[in-house]
This record gives sequence, C-alpha cells and structure tokens, in this order.
Amino acid sequence: MPPGVGLGRRVAGLPVGPAGTDALRRLTIAAAYGLPMVFILAPLAGFLVYSFFWVDHTEMHYDISLLNYERFFAEETFPRVFRQTCVLCLEVSFLTILFAYPVAYFLAGLTGRKKYILVMMLLVPLLMSYIIKIYAIRSILGGNGFLNRALLAAGLIDEPLTIFVFNLNTVLLTLTVLLIPFAVLPIFLSLERIPRNLLEASGDLGASNWQTFARVILPLSLPGVIAASTFVFVLAIGDFLTPQMVGGQSGFTFGRIIYSQFGAAFNWPFGAALSVILAIVVIVAIAIGARFGSKRGIAP
Amino acid sequence: MATDRILLELRAVSKSFGQTPVLEAIDLAVRDGEFITILGPSGSGKTTILRMIGGFTEPTRGVILLDGRDITAVPINKRPFNTVFQDYALFPHMNVADNVGYGLKVRGVAGAEVRSRVGQALELVQLGQLAQRYPAQLSGGQRQRVALARAIICQPRLILLDEPLAALDVELRRQMQSFLKDIQREIKTTFLFVTHDQEEAIAMADRICVMNFGRIQQLGSPHEVYYRPRTEFVARFFGDNNLIEGRLAATEGRYRRIETALGPLVCAIEGQPDVADAPAGRRAFAVFRPEAIALQAACDSDANRILGTVAAVSFGGASTVAAVDVPSDGGVHQVRVKMPSQVDGARIGVGDRITLNWRADACRLVLA
Repeated sequence: MPPGVGLGRRVAGLPVGPAGTDALRRLTIAAAYGLPMVFILAPLAGFLVYSFFWVDHTEMHYDISLLNYERFFAEETFPRVFRQTCVLCLEVSFLTILFAYPVAYFLAGLTGRKKYILVMMLLVPLLMSYIIKIYAIRSILGGNGFLNRALLAAGLIDEPLTIFVFNLNTVLLTLTVLLIPFAVLPIFLSLERIPRNLLEASGDLGASNWQTFARVILPLSLPGVIAASTFVFVLAIGDFLTPQMVGGQSGFTFGRIIYSQFGAAFNWPFGAALSVILAIVVIVAIAIGARFGSKRGIAP
Repeated sequence: MATDRILLELRAVSKSFGQTPVLEAIDLAVRDGEFITILGPSGSGKTTILRMIGGFTEPTRGVILLDGRDITAVPINKRPFNTVFQDYALFPHMNVADNVGYGLKVRGVAGAEVRSRVGQALELVQLGQLAQRYPAQLSGGQRQRVALARAIICQPRLILLDEPLAALDVELRRQMQSFLKDIQREIKTTFLFVTHDQEEAIAMADRICVMNFGRIQQLGSPHEVYYRPRTEFVARFFGDNNLIEGRLAATEGRYRRIETALGPLVCAIEGQPDVADAPAGRRAFAVFRPEAIALQAACDSDANRILGTVAAVSFGGASTVAAVDVPSDGGVHQVRVKMPSQVDGARIGVGDRITLNWRADACRLVLA
C-alpha cells in the first residue's frame, strides 16, 4: 500500500465517504495549519516588522531601520532593567519550585479521592481573576497589610517594615505566590509517573528514604521541575500587570517598560522592538526547557 | 547445596487487607541454600508471602525469623534480602552499571570496589559488554539479567524472585530457567521463587510450596507434589491428572481400596496418614496420571484394570493423548491416557475397545 492511501479514508479519526474526501481533507489541513498562522504567527510577524519602523516626535516613519535596537543598547537603563528582570524571573522560578515541590510531593503521596480533591483545590486560584489575586496579596504585604500588622501585634517590630512594600521584593513574592499552582502541576504529574516499584526496589537494595529521594525520585521528577520552571519563567517575564500594581517606583521591570512604550510614550515601534527582544529570551528559555526535559525523561 | 539448616522461618503468619484475609496462619521454613518455589494461581497469596519476607508489607499476625532471630519489625532496607521484581524495576535514568552498583553505593562502598564488583556481577550474568547501556536499550531477557545482577551484588542471604520470567516468551523462559538454576548453584544463595507456572516450578525448584486461598496446600519436592498430591487442589493443579470420585473402603497394608463408579480401585497410601486413618465410606478421589496408564496388562496382579472405548485421539508432538470413555453407574466417565507418539502413527483409533492398566503405586488418594 503506498503511503497516504490509508489516510485518505479518515480525517481526524472520522470516516469520510468517497465523495468529497479530498476536498474535506484539504480543508481540515488548511484549518489546522491556517488558524494558528492567522491568529498567532501573523501578529508576531507584524510586531517583528513594526520593530524596524521608527518614531520621531510622535511621527511614524515606515522605512526599515535598526534605530530601535540601537537605542536599546545605547541607553543604560534598558539593558540594566532587562538584566534585572531576567534575574528577577529566575529568582521567581527558583522560589516557586522551592515551594511547589513539597506541595506536589505531598499530593503525589496521597491516595484515593483525597488526592484529587486537593489537586482540584489547588486549581481553584487559577479560575480567579488575576487582579483580585494581586489585590489580595497587596492587602497582605502592604504597609498596613496583614503581615506588618501581625508582626507589630506580635511585638517583633516597632514600626511597619518597608522591605515588602512597593519594590522588587514585592514583585518577587507576588509573582511567586501567583505562579505556584502552575509549578505544582507539572511536578505532581512527573512524580505520579514514577512507578512505585522503583521506590520499593531502592529500599530493597538498602537505600534509606532520603537516599531513595535523592537518587531515584528527584532525578526522575526533574523533567517536571524543568517544565515547571520554564512555565513560571515565561509567565513571569511576560507579566507587566503584577509589577505595575505592586512594584511601585523601584519595582521596575522590562514588561512595564514595554507597556509604557505602547501607553504613555506612544512609541509602538520601540515597544515592538523590546517585545521582540523579550520574545527571543522566552524562545530560548522554552528551547532549553524542552531540551533538558526530554533528555532526563523516563524512558519507556 | 541445600542443607537442613533453617535460614528463614514464617510462624503462624497471617495477612489481611481490610476485612479480607489473604494469608491464614502460614508456617513455612526455608532451608539454607535451597531453591524453593511458591506456586499458586493468582490470588493465592504467594506474592504476599514474598512481599512480607522482603519487608514491603507487614504481617497482620505472626513472626518472621531469620537464623532464629525475629525480623518482623526490621525495615526493608535493613533486611539482608534482595528482590528480582516481576517487571524488573530497573532505574530508567541509570545505565546498567549504575543500576547494578546501586545497592553497594547506597551502603557507602568505595567507588573502585563498586566498579570491580559490578564488573564481576555483569560477567556472571554475561552482560559485561552492555555496562553503559540504559534499560530502555535492552531486550527483556537482558533486563532480566541486569535485575538479577543487581540483586546478587550485595550478597544477600536470600534472593526473592517475583514471577521474574512471566514477561518473557517461551523459548527465552526456558533459557532463563536453566540460567537461574546455574547462577543459584554458582553463588550458593537461597532462592525463593514465586510463580503460577507448574512446569516452571517443577523444572527449577528443590522444593515446591503449593498455595491456594491463602493456605499452603502441600510442601515437598517436585516429584512429591507431582506424583503424590495431598489435596484435590494440588491433584487438579498439576496438569491433566485423572480424578475419579469414590468412597474409601478397606485398607490392605500399604494400599487402600476405593469404591468408584468405575469399580473398585487400589491406591498406595504410604506417607498419607490422613487417608490411612480416614473412616471407610469417606468421600475421596483416586488420582492417577495419564502417562501411568498402560494399554497392555502388566504382569503384576495388583494392577488396576478397566475397559473403555476410545473417544478421541490427539497428537501432541512427543506424546499422544487419548480420551477413553469408560462406562460407569451413572453414564460415561472419561479417562485421559497419554502415551509416547510413534513414528508410524497412533496404535489406537477412535472406537477401539481397549483395556487400561495402571499400578496401584501409580494411583494415589486425596480426600474430597
């Protein structure tokens, strides 16, 4: 049988009559490739093109130039904030994994219905409005927030601390709290996939619980950890709303700069150029994650 | 070689999962150096015995003794036993050498010694050239041997094997059976082998412990459980035994009569006090193997003899099996006869009237 003959009879698993088989098949393929093209790739390509235009005193110039990219490297602020933001997001990833791993480990260790009820509860925050969650965290971390009042009431401090209030620390903590559910899930799934008998084999061979964790569980859950940190990093670096709302003056991030180019500064081409730079970082992060994730996966 | 010294002992060990009893008051003594097989259908509790010895689960009641010392509460990683798992349970992220050396590394053995002992273990299982491969790159038989090397490297007192050959195809299974026997002889370690396959058990074991419904049905050499079943279950479990129901009659020295629908039969009862002491009239089965039946009458006078008509003949390679209808009180009873195949065809055909003869010594009794 020549290749493709068997395929012609079925489109997406549905049997198709002989008449119109080809037309329908072509249509399905066109839709499958076309829709992402139109709705994802085309806007991105548009941005890429836009980033080569330039603005001079609110006047758009539609000729190709590298002015925007030159400006990014020329001014001291942009590379600095860019670097700060990358470091911040790496810290967010690290902190998130640190909190998410024990949660995922605890969940994976449960049995029966309890486990899935708790996983569902973990997902509830994902259904809540982003803004509400940020306000909730603000009310905890703020100058008059729950945290400061609790510390005051406990007599540990004399006046409200400012280290959590409207700065990069606030951004770091808020992003971490917001993104923990995104990190728990991949880690939970990778822990669930570890066959129980590997843990039994490890114990049988004389390993203590700690040795079993360090030598078997942790390495085998690494793909989940890498997926989780990629997730969190990408979500954090693209976020401009959280730093905007809890960052104050000092908590400036790259996302906020991009946002201001499209808003206050009204310099779309420069904003597009900064977005392209950000997109490159995101693509590199995903590529690294994909590479390590597949390398350390559980072979069948 | 097996000695009479007891290595491991289970005393009145019971196990229940919730309200469901899985094992009921098991007493089992494993001798030092023997190859003991626990044989039973699925759900008989055979794997639970292995898991309790290995320390994977705790008995509900009873104690487990090693060299006479109670180890019931000793945790899994402190027991000097290693296990070969049914699906091998090799660590997928470690290569063969790291898998095999795992038990030594977690005990803090120095790197150089680990390497040399891993090399020796891999030589023993003939996998020296595959040390750097990952489990996913190995065939089923190779994984099996890695699992074995990993289990023997710590020189355990006892190796537990949980249906390790179940996933292999027939030819490879045969090879692995004799391979395992050879290894066991070479390293002189006690093997406790769990299986549901009677042929495998007979081919490998020094002693077989037949289990059903959480109880030990019979414990003995392969020859004993094959030729002298003690219970109806064992008689039926081992292949194609003929079982004829009847009522016990008089005892005559080493033999006892049983009145069956096919007429009286004479059966050997030595070593079976339960049958010897059972009252006359007790329901029992006469058990005899299809290959014990001869078509020509032997000259000894105590032979059992019945007449029948051949109903079917089937050629099975080395042997040919005939189903013979024997008229009885209630209708017709079928008896299986197995004989060596002949190059020029079967000596009997369907419809032939033949005499079936078998010695009283080849006929046993089990209580119903």
